[in-house]
Amino acid sequence: MDFFETIMFPFKWLVSVIMVGFHEGLSFIGLPPANGWTWTLSIIGLVLVLRAALIPVFVKQIKAQRGMQLLQPDLKKLQDKYKGKTDQLSRQAMAQEQMSLYKKHGTNPFSACLPMLIQMPFFFALFQVLSGITAAKDKGQGIGAMSHAQVVQFDQSSIFGAPLSASLLHGGAPGNEVAVWILSIVMILAMTASQFITQKQIMAKNMSEEAMASPFMRQQKMMLYILPIVFGVGGINFPIGVLIYWTTTNLWTMGQQFFVIRRMPTPGSPAAKALAERRAAKGLPVLPILGGKKAEETPAEAEPEKPKGQRVQPQRKNRKKK
Amino acid sequence: MHELGSAVVRFLVSTSRTIGSVLWDLPRNILILLLKAYRRIVSPLYGQVCRFFPSCSAYALEAVTVHGAVKGSWLAARRLARCHPWNAGGVDHVPAGHRHWPEGRTPMIVVLNNPDQFLAAQADEDGRREAA
Repeated sequence: MDFFETIMFPFKWLVSVIMVGFHEGLSFIGLPPANGWTWTLSIIGLVLVLRAALIPVFVKQIKAQRGMQLLQPDLKKLQDKYKGKTDQLSRQAMAQEQMSLYKKHGTNPFSACLPMLIQMPFFFALFQVLSGITAAKDKGQGIGAMSHAQVVQFDQSSIFGAPLSASLLHGGAPGNEVAVWILSIVMILAMTASQFITQKQIMAKNMSEEAMASPFMRQQKMMLYILPIVFGVGGINFPIGVLIYWTTTNLWTMGQQFFVIRRMPTPGSPAAKALAERRAAKGLPVLPILGGKKAEETPAEAEPEKPKGQRVQPQRKNRKKK
Repeated sequence: MHELGSAVVRFLVSTSRTIGSVLWDLPRNILILLLKAYRRIVSPLYGQVCRFFPSCSAYALEAVTVHGAVKGSWLAARRLARCHPWNAGGVDHVPAGHRHWPEGRTPMIVVLNNPDQFLAAQADEDGRREAA
């Protein structure tokens, strides 16, 4: 437990210092410091900072999507090579060749788990900070970068009569339980709905036909419905401030995803077809991604990929000796 | 009496050897179980995000299976550190280990992570069977 505390300490400090920074700034421009809405905006500010820090990752993903267009002929060849081979080993071999293809072209549609993992400690930190507010107030302490005075102020602030540090399970002071219940449930619904809609959009519009046909699809479809339940149940323990954080970050993801589906869809997905149709209706070339002002960014060595023919099996004697 | 004594000794030696190897393999097998559970339950949550083949969790499972808990965890940790959006990704196999498995008893993860190797072996076998 102590080990966990030590790891979490810098994250708690960072989360609270960003929140306090926004709070100071908002108070400076004239918002009432003790008001719950000012603190709500501070939490939203925290989301904006964290998600903005991840924009480079998003840009990288967009560029990779653009690179994927160039890769299509080679990918098609690969699919033809493994056509009808549905046994697990062949699928794995295909996945392996696909990966080496990505590497060869210097583009990779996957962004690794780091961007997702990196958000977790911040979420836990906010959870700990907000859940600990009342206890810290009673003990006369501050939390992270929050002074005791700010802790007291936060504890007393509320929106729609519900304190930001109260959760459905651990309601606020007597008298505001109903407000806490109603607001918690509304926020839990908003949080799960935003997540569900984003995921559903990706699955319905931005998945290529092979991805839809893959054996993992059924599991993922199941998860589409299980995840909201997990978060809905978990949400009864989330302070309202955390629910605000989670909903805002979901909305950000939704916005990014909307942009991707609209402008940079996965090749072979319904969204890509829709984009092609929209462009055809306007009399524009089919692949905006290859042309336009951003064309110079596509790696030069990826250009002459067409006449290369069948790739040799990569690393036949693969296990490198060390 | 002497024979009985030596039988008891032999029994004790073999039992302690079994217990020893079970204990020796325990950390490895616990990690294998955890990794399998993770791959079954958590991985499907977010689909494929890994920039490598085999994916990090498949790499970790093979590394622990082939190299044991200590070296396997070390290899897996190093792979996780490599797996970020600014690495080109690609094919990255677990280095070969010293463990050998009897014919047809190779762990599933080793087979799945080295598909071309085992597909080639399969084709060889089919060819030989046809020739016979």
